[in-house]
Amino acid sequence: MGKRKPVVVLSSSDDEVARTRSTGRVRGLSESSSKSLSAARKKTRSGKSNGGSDVRHSREAEAAKFAALSEDFCGCLQNFHLTRGNQCTKCKELWIDKYEPSSIAQLAVHKKKIEEVKCWLEDRLVTSKGSLGNVLLLTGKAGVGKSTAVRVIASQLGAQLCEWTTPTPTLWQEHVHNVNSGLRFVSKLDEFEAFVGKIGKYSLLCPGSSGASSEPNIILIDDLPVTNGRVAFERLKKCLTSLSLSAQLPIIILITEYHKVDIGENSTNHCEELVSFLERAGAHKVAFNPLTVNSIKKALSMLCQEEQCDVTPEQIDQIAKASGGDIRNAITSLQYCCLRPDNLLISPVSTLLETNAKFYSDRSRLSPFTGLLEEGELVSTYIPCGRDETLSLFHALGKFLHNKRDADAFSFGSESLILKDKYARKPLKMDAPEKILSQAYGKARPVTDFLHENVLDFINDGSIDDAWLVTSYLSDADCLLGSFSHISRLGIFSEMYEPQSLSQSVASSVAIRGVLFGNSQPLSSRWHIIRSPRLWQIEHSAKKLMNQTMNEKFDAFNGFVSSMSQIITEYRPSIRWFNSHCKDRLDNEELAKSSAHSRPDDSEDGTSKEDSDDEIEDW
Amino acid sequence: MLWVDKYRPRVLDKITVHEEIAQNLKKLVSEQDCPHLLFYGPPGSGKKTMVMALLKEMFGASAEKVKLEQKAWKIAAGTRNIELELAMLASTHHVELNPSDAGFQDRYIVQEIIKEMAKNRPIDSKGKKGFKVLVLNEVDKLSKEAQHSLRRTMEKYSSSCRLILCCNSSSRVTEAVRSRCLNVRLNAPSAEQIIEVLELIAKKESLQLPPGFAARLAAQSNRSLRRAILAFETCRVQQYPFTVNQAIPPLDWEQYVSEICSDIMKEQSPKRLFQVRGKIYELLVNCIPPEIILKKLLSELLKKLDSELKHEVCHWAAYYEHRMRLGQKAIFHIEAFVAKFMSIYKAFLIATFG
Repeated sequence: MGKRKPVVVLSSSDDEVARTRSTGRVRGLSESSSKSLSAARKKTRSGKSNGGSDVRHSREAEAAKFAALSEDFCGCLQNFHLTRGNQCTKCKELWIDKYEPSSIAQLAVHKKKIEEVKCWLEDRLVTSKGSLGNVLLLTGKAGVGKSTAVRVIASQLGAQLCEWTTPTPTLWQEHVHNVNSGLRFVSKLDEFEAFVGKIGKYSLLCPGSSGASSEPNIILIDDLPVTNGRVAFERLKKCLTSLSLSAQLPIIILITEYHKVDIGENSTNHCEELVSFLERAGAHKVAFNPLTVNSIKKALSMLCQEEQCDVTPEQIDQIAKASGGDIRNAITSLQYCCLRPDNLLISPVSTLLETNAKFYSDRSRLSPFTGLLEEGELVSTYIPCGRDETLSLFHALGKFLHNKRDADAFSFGSESLILKDKYARKPLKMDAPEKILSQAYGKARPVTDFLHENVLDFINDGSIDDAWLVTSYLSDADCLLGSFSHISRLGIFSEMYEPQSLSQSVASSVAIRGVLFGNSQPLSSRWHIIRSPRLWQIEHSAKKLMNQTMNEKFDAFNGFVSSMSQIITEYRPSIRWFNSHCKDRLDNEELAKSSAHSRPDDSEDGTSKEDSDDEIEDW
Repeated sequence: MLWVDKYRPRVLDKITVHEEIAQNLKKLVSEQDCPHLLFYGPPGSGKKTMVMALLKEMFGASAEKVKLEQKAWKIAAGTRNIELELAMLASTHHVELNPSDAGFQDRYIVQEIIKEMAKNRPIDSKGKKGFKVLVLNEVDKLSKEAQHSLRRTMEKYSSSCRLILCCNSSSRVTEAVRSRCLNVRLNAPSAEQIIEVLELIAKKESLQLPPGFAARLAAQSNRSLRRAILAFETCRVQQYPFTVNQAIPPLDWEQYVSEICSDIMKEQSPKRLFQVRGKIYELLVNCIPPEIILKKLLSELLKKLDSELKHEVCHWAAYYEHRMRLGQKAIFHIEAFVAKFMSIYKAFLIATFG
C-alpha cells in the first residue's frame, strides 16, 4: 500500500480539482461506498495486528523494512518532482487538464454532433416528459472528446451531472486481504446493479422532489463495467434495460469503441452487441467520429500560442496526423515535444529523445531512397511519441488495390537510376507497403488470397499484359509460401514461428508490390466491394467432396480403382452421364428394363443421383 | 457393374493386352521368389488389373476378399504426435493403400505401415513364415522424404514383406527405390489391342458393332483402355443399335474445359480472365486435379492455335505446371498461365490483323 500511496493520492486529487474546475458541480455517487470500504479495511488491519505474537514479530520487522523502503521511494519521487519543477515552472500541470475546454466553441468535436447532443438534452430538460426515450448513447474511439463534450454541454445548459464513478479495480493482493479479513468481494457488476437500483428507487434524483437544487440532473455513465462471459453480459443487459425503463432523468451512456486488433474479438463483439441492444431498447445513438487532422491542428496551435512554445507547424502537423483522431493523445504528445531540450539536458529522457531523433535522421540520410524522396519529407523531424497507427485489413487492402499514385510527379528514379519507360512508375501516394501491412497485422497467406480475388477488378480492361504481370507476381508469392510449407514438412519450423518466418514476409511483400507495380494504369477510383476469397470456399467444398468420394470409393468401385483422379475424371462423369440419360429414357419410353445394366445399385443412392443432376445443371 | 469392372480379367492367364508380361510374372511367382515390383505406365494401360491378377496368382481366391478399413495411425515423430486417418484395403495377405492421400505427412505413413506389417507376418500352410504384400498406389506423388524413408524400410524389412508399387511415371520415383525393384513397364495398349477388347465385350454383351465404330472409339480414347470401355458403354446407353457415325459423348468436364478455351480465344481482357477463373473454380470444386485441367486446357488451346505460337505457349504451360508443384494453390498458377496466353495471343492478333 505504501508504495502506491503517493501516486494514488496525487492522481485522485488532480482528478477532483480538474473536475470541480471544469463543471463545478460534480457529485460522486459511489464516494460513500468507497469510504466505507476503506474504513472496513482499516478496521481489519488493526484487528490483524493483534494476532499471533511471533507472526506479528516477523511482520513488524518486515513492515519496518518496507516503511524504510517506501520512504526512500517517496524521497526519490519528491526529489524528482522538485528538480522538474525547478526546470520548467510552466508545466506544472498536464495540459489536458489545464486546457480542458470550458465552452462549446472550444470543443474540437464536429459542430453537428455537438448540436445533436445539445438538442437532445434540451428536449429532455425543457419538456422533461417521459414520452421520449431517456437514454442517449455516445460512441466513438478513445480520445475523441465524448466525456468532455458532455461535461461542457451540461454546464452550458446549467444542468448537474451525476456520474457513475467507476470503483477502483481490486488487485489480487487486496482481494486476498479482503477475503482473509472476512469482507465479501463485491464485483463491479454488482456495484453497478446497486447503482442502477438506487437511481430507480430514490426520489433524491427525481426532478423537483428534492428541492435542494432547482437545477436539472443528468446521469452520466462513462464506463460500463467489464463483463466476462455470457452470464455476466446478460446481467449487464438486464441491468441496462431496467435502467432505460425506469429512467426519469436523461441518461448519457458513453461507450468507447476499440479497434478490432487492439482487443480480442470477443469483447468487441460485446461492445457492438451492446450498442445495438441499447439502440433497440430505445436509446438515441450519436456516433463521434475520430477528429479530423485539421481540427486537431487548430486546437494544438491554439495551445501553442497560449504556452508560447515554439513548435514548428510541421511538427504540429505530424503530431496531428500521428494521433489518429485522438485529441487527448495529441495534446500529451505536444506537451512532450515542448519539453525544451536545453532545459532538460540532465534528464535521461531528453537525451534519449535526442539520440533517437539523431538516429532517425541518420538513418534517413543513409537510406538508399534518400535521393528519391522529396526535400520536404527528408526534413520532417521524427517525433518520438504518438500512437502507432493501426489500420483494418480491408483499409490496407483498399490502399493496395486502388494503387493511388501522384499523377503529376515525375516517375520514380528519373535522376538517380534510369529506367525504361516500361518499368517506370509514378511514386506511390502511401507509405511503404510493408509498413501498411504491418499496421494492418496482415498475414501473408490471407493477404495474398484477398489480393488475388480482388485485383482483377482494378485493372484497366484493355491491358491484359498488366493482368498477366500481376498474376505472375501472385504466382511467385504462392511459390514462396509453398516453399515455406516444404520447409515445415521437414519439421524444422513448428507453427509457432510461422508469423516471423522470413519467407512469409517476403511472399506478402512480393504479392503486394507485384500488385502495385503490375497494375500500370490503375482505374480511377470508384466504389468497389472487396470480396472475401472465393478460393477458400472452393477449397473447403472440394475437400469435403474428396472425403466423400474416398468413402464411396470402395462401395462403388469394388476397390479396383487405384487413384482418385481416375475416379473423378473418368468414372464419375460417366456414371453421372448414365444416370441422367437413364432418367430421360425412363421418362420417354418404356426401356427401363434395358437400362438395368447401367448400374445395379441405382436405388441405393438416389440421393447421389439428384446431387449429380444438380452438378450437371451447374456446369 | 460397369463394364470396366465386369470384363476386367481376374487371372493372369486371361490377360490379353500384355500377355507376355503376364506370363512372365506367372513364372516368377511360381518359383516362389518374388522381388519388389514397380509397375509403371500411362493411365489405362492395365497396371491395376495386372497387380490384382498377380495377387490372385500368389494367394488364390482369398486375395479377392478385401475389406475397407479406415485406420487411424498414431505416430510419435520426435516431440509431437501425429494422428492420421487413412483408408486401406486389406485381405489376409495384402494391404493396399494410397500413401499420398496423407498429404505432406506421407513419410510417416510409409514408415509406420511397413513396420507394422513386418510385425505380424502370416504363416503359410507349410508352417513356413510367409510374406505379406503391400501395394502402394501413386508412388510418384509421394514426397521426396517419403520415398527416402520408403527406401530404408524396404531394405530393413525385405525378408517379411514385398512391395508392389504403382505409378504413372517412373521418372518421379527416386533412383534408389527404382533400383531395388523389378521394374515392369506396361505401355499403353495399341489401337488394335483396344479394338480387340471392345469386340470381345460386344460379343459377350451380344451387341452388333457397325464396322469402324470400334476403331473410332479406340482413336478417341487416347490409347487408354479404360477410357475406351467407358466411352463404349456410354454409347450403348445413348443409343442402340449403334449407327456408323454416332457421336461419342465427351466427358462433361472435358467439354467444360473446351468451353473455357473458346472463351479465352474470343476475348482477352481482365474481365474475361475473371470469368475464366470462375469456371476453373467450378472444375476445382469437383476435385478435378489441377494438373489435368492445365494439360487439357493446353491441348485444347493448341488445337486452335497458329503453329507460330505453339512453342511459346507450351513453354509457359510447362513453366506454370512446375510452379504449381512448388506452390500451394493451383488456381494462382493456372490463372497466370491463362493471363500469359491471353497476353501472347492478343499481341499476336494485333501484329497480324492490326
